[in-house]
Amino acid sequence: MATRVISGRPRAESHTLRAEEERLRAQLERRLNVRTRFAPLADVRALLVSPDQADRAKSLVVSSSTSVAERIYLYVHVAAHIALGHHLPLVTIVEGVPGVTRFSDASRHREAEELARAIWWGQSDRGGLLGTPAFVRRSTMLRRLLASESARPALRSLLIGMRHVYYDLRVERALAGSRLAGWLRDALCLTAVVCVAPQLSD
Amino acid sequence: MRIQNAHRVSEAIQTLSAGTTLDTLVDRLYDLTDGTLALDRATLHRIARGKTQVARAIDSPEECIRLYFALMILGCERELSVTSIVDEGHAVLASFVGEPLASLIFRDLAATLPKLTDRYTLREYLEEGLRVWLPE
Repeated sequence: MATRVISGRPRAESHTLRAEEERLRAQLERRLNVRTRFAPLADVRALLVSPDQADRAKSLVVSSSTSVAERIYLYVHVAAHIALGHHLPLVTIVEGVPGVTRFSDASRHREAEELARAIWWGQSDRGGLLGTPAFVRRSTMLRRLLASESARPALRSLLIGMRHVYYDLRVERALAGSRLAGWLRDALCLTAVVCVAPQLSD
Repeated sequence: MRIQNAHRVSEAIQTLSAGTTLDTLVDRLYDLTDGTLALDRATLHRIARGKTQVARAIDSPEECIRLYFALMILGCERELSVTSIVDEGHAVLASFVGEPLASLIFRDLAATLPKLTDRYTLREYLEEGLRVWLPE
């Protein structure tokens, strides 16, 4: 089954998003023994190849054309597949390119999507280490806005606007460690990921 | 291991190696499998020529799968079509591990291989597969 991922990435990847992607990649390796590498895959977003022994590292190959937000979504989705025990030796989990529906294991992908959503919102992942950033996890307002297809892009534009104002006012040094700055960073990160993978929203 | 259909395996190896000499083919198989292939050069030559049904040195399915992955990578390197690589790979594996086990493995592979329609992606999968099936 093709994974629903909306392309159209921002011109530059934010530092927060990149840091979050690195954190999740490290969590994936530490907690689920998944090693990630990037390759220019033409027709799929990612492949998860599993060994015949559970104690050996699994290998995730991610298309180098994916945006950072898409990678974050793919890590959470792959973690869900692993939690559901889909990672059998020789059966490779392949995340397809959006719009291509040639895959036969649609029900497994659907199960993984549901669990990925729960992991993303910190409901199925003890400690929330693979989920959305802590500051914004409990924000019902953000969650509700992100669930609406029409509100989602508007929210993203609004947050990007707030970020511009934040930098234009030259207050970043004063506010760098504040809750407001932390919330804005995390909200932008969360919104960027849900914008490319709306299935993570309610 | 007793090769079920030595002639078909020989045919598949010839297709996958696409005109490579036997020595080059065997060298590449040793390279790809990091020297972990337990078959000697003479036996590999005989298998490739369809002259033997017996390859006692490789007894475990893991070793057969490594050889299967390596042969399919060879097909990718020789720029064969994805369909041809997959078909010949299937023939090799079926002859190596026998029909009952091959059926089990094919059932799993059937979930993966049809998704990999691009040769580069197929090769990434095969290389990754070989890597995770190599002994530590």
